[in-house]
Amino acid sequence: MASDDSLPTLKVLLIGPSGAGKSALLTRYCDDEFDPESSTATIGIDFKIKKLSVRGKAYRLTLFDTAGQERFRTLSTSFYRGAHGVLLVYDVSSRASFLTMERWFDEAEANTGEGVALYLVGAKLDKAETSREVSYEEGQALADAHGALFCEASAKTRENVRKPFCDIVNQIVSTPGLLSGGNQGRTVGTVQVGKDGWYLSGCSC
Amino acid sequence: MTQLPYAIDAETPLSQAELDVLRAQYEKEDVMVGVQTKFNYAWGLVKSNVRTDQHLGVMLLSEIFRTSPERRRECLYYLALGNYKLGNYAQARKYNDLLLENEPGNLQASNLQALIDDKVAKEGLMGVAIVSGVAVAAGVIGGVLLRNLGRKR
Repeated sequence: MASDDSLPTLKVLLIGPSGAGKSALLTRYCDDEFDPESSTATIGIDFKIKKLSVRGKAYRLTLFDTAGQERFRTLSTSFYRGAHGVLLVYDVSSRASFLTMERWFDEAEANTGEGVALYLVGAKLDKAETSREVSYEEGQALADAHGALFCEASAKTRENVRKPFCDIVNQIVSTPGLLSGGNQGRTVGTVQVGKDGWYLSGCSC
Repeated sequence: MTQLPYAIDAETPLSQAELDVLRAQYEKEDVMVGVQTKFNYAWGLVKSNVRTDQHLGVMLLSEIFRTSPERRRECLYYLALGNYKLGNYAQARKYNDLLLENEPGNLQASNLQALIDDKVAKEGLMGVAIVSGVAVAAGVIGGVLLRNLGRKR
């Protein structure tokens, strides 16, 4: 373990609407497990570590799996600090989930600084044949509009599961200054929580 | 995989400024405090490394658990987490078991269970070690102290 700790550490967040498949993607990638029955919503935040090599160099990838439910959003924003990349996940078989992605991009962009890698993932690709509601082209276009990378993946069939993680690490390590600095936020030196998200909690809903 | 799982909320305290924001909102709403505001503050308190914060957080979570049934699953998780951090392992286990009963496939709860079990086992071993190894420990500490004294001179 001691040798692992000395590896360069990358911080990546998974965000997206509740039920999009963030946790399934992460569990498949890290543990190569998939439970079709598991549908428990993430409480607050979950976390996994994965070691991986890109271009012959080893990295320690820390993955923060945030809860998609509205009630946890104000809290999850505190985890953007120091993030190098964000995976935005929606469900290709749910147009409703895709339609929320603008809002997720807004959140990610508001909480991260220039250069932080964004990656859009259309999850549940195994459902595409029978119940696709979002075309590949639409996903690609949305990603392009935000300067993000894009792919579709299935935790169930394993298709493309490694791709978003490897690609985002690749992008992070090839962005000058990002690895050493991490996300400082757009407003350097001020506390992020004073703005937007955190005050959403003001309503008594 | 022999290494322990993570309960990330147990290891990532907020900064004082962040906690202050949550507290300010809580105090501003006063007697009319909304359940989301209260939960946010309780969450921040439970994440804290300060014992009195953790205590207050657990207290607030118990209140939310009683008054807001729709919040029960997250309250159970954070009640278990808070009690785990406070060292109340029996309580932690009770809440976590309740959550697992309702959601046997919940990985976060299984992870927390492993952490609680590990702590209980370690503290149990510690107890044995203290009773049986007290003489050895005293010898070692005495030796170290003497050596340090010797160095200082």
